[in-house]
Amino acid sequence: MCQPLASYWLGHTHHVKLAGLRCETLSVPREITSLQLWEEIVKVHPRLALIRDQVVFAVRQEYVLLGDQLLVLQPGDEVAIIPPISGG
Amino acid sequence: FPAELPPLPARSALSAAEILRYSRQLVLPELGVRGQLRLARSSVLVVGCGGLGCPLAQYLAAAGVGRLGLVDHDVVETSNLQRQVLHGEARRGRPKARSAAAALRRLNSAVQYVPYRGALRPRSALRLVRQYDIVADCSDNVPTRYLVSDACVLAGKPLVSGSALRLEGQLAVYNYRGGPCYRCLFPEPPPPDTVTNCADGGVLGVVTGIIGCMQALEVLKIASGMGSSFGGYMLMFDALEGRFRNIKLRPRKADCAVCGDNPSVTCLQDYEAFCGSSATDKCRALRLLPSGDRVSVQQYKELLDARVPHVLLDVRPQVEAEICRLQHALHIPLRSLEEKDEQALQRLQKRICEEKQRTDDQTPLPVYVVCKLGNDSQKAVKILQELPAEEFGSVLAKDIKGGLMAWATKIDSTFPQY
Repeated sequence: MCQPLASYWLGHTHHVKLAGLRCETLSVPREITSLQLWEEIVKVHPRLALIRDQVVFAVRQEYVLLGDQLLVLQPGDEVAIIPPISGG
Repeated sequence: FPAELPPLPARSALSAAEILRYSRQLVLPELGVRGQLRLARSSVLVVGCGGLGCPLAQYLAAAGVGRLGLVDHDVVETSNLQRQVLHGEARRGRPKARSAAAALRRLNSAVQYVPYRGALRPRSALRLVRQYDIVADCSDNVPTRYLVSDACVLAGKPLVSGSALRLEGQLAVYNYRGGPCYRCLFPEPPPPDTVTNCADGGVLGVVTGIIGCMQALEVLKIASGMGSSFGGYMLMFDALEGRFRNIKLRPRKADCAVCGDNPSVTCLQDYEAFCGSSATDKCRALRLLPSGDRVSVQQYKELLDARVPHVLLDVRPQVEAEICRLQHALHIPLRSLEEKDEQALQRLQKRICEEKQRTDDQTPLPVYVVCKLGNDSQKAVKILQELPAEEFGSVLAKDIKGGLMAWATKIDSTFPQY
């Protein structure tokens, strides 16, 4: 069942180039593994697949490894995809 | 780089002049005389004297750190002054490391400044990092970030890392109290064409200032014994939203190539090869097209003077087209071409059609594509080459090498450079 609305937020601007936006809301199953959640997001933004191994993936502001870890999401939970930025 | 530096002397008391100078921070119980003495014995290596390094070094010097190593290979340029606040107009063309040292010496002459005019290189980095207590990564490129991180792991030094781009910034303290290193989080470098630097993407000076000051704060807390709050956390700053987020990071990765239990990286390597990009933030010149699909700015100028029918397509982002443009160019951002934006393609089709009426329509119409530096224009040519001939007619797309910046330096010196 696709219920809670996990808002996800794409960490940084070069991401915007890849994904096209900073923040949006996505409906996903309440219980989902971290890898499935990533794949749901990649379905909407296929170019993110390019940098899968170069991002910090965080749920509720906490690092999550992409894998079998089961997440129980609440409406409004924030999922962040954070690539490193290197400018200075 | 200069020879080994002598260790900073241990001291048991502050002088009357020091007490006066640092009185506002000495009365903080968290710092106190003990913290100030520790600070005076601490040495900090600042990698990069730009937008992050300037405010960082400024506050550390003001606070009375013992020694500041200042690394930068670059010279001061006009476009640096908006954010690199230690360098003034009069310093343009001078090495940044020396310019920073001179400005800092005016602020606090009691601190030792060691300018290193040159890039941090794999060959010398470890020897340099070992001579300092704390390292601040204020660099502007991916290879240097991996180099600094690996050197800090191998030398056992805490790394206070900051970065900024556009209206956002990041800060983390790596290799500190069991926390991760940079590679634990980012084992593989990003594909070079997904990386945006400050020259391409822009950056607001205040944003580098805020992140640089946050770095100075964490360095100061580590040096004085308070300890950093960011071991295991990454601070994300969004200037547009006015929001700071602290992301809890993973702990050290047991199978990390550098700081893991069985590291495969035990000496510094070639980081430019590892990252596929160069250790500067200068825009790299891509070569996506064969030379037959490219023209120089001089060749384009001749075509223009000879009034050869053609379309000039400017594919820069809207914001850059608003800075300056060639009046006869049709402006369609690369992004719109990539997304096959219908309105944009119709505008292109219309212009091609109009221009074709000036020809006998026997030969393909040339479409010259221009951008700022000649990278995006090549991507656009590839897209144009795929367009259906039945809709767009027969066109011959080529890009202009070096883009509008080459136009400004070689053809029209009144054209703005940015």
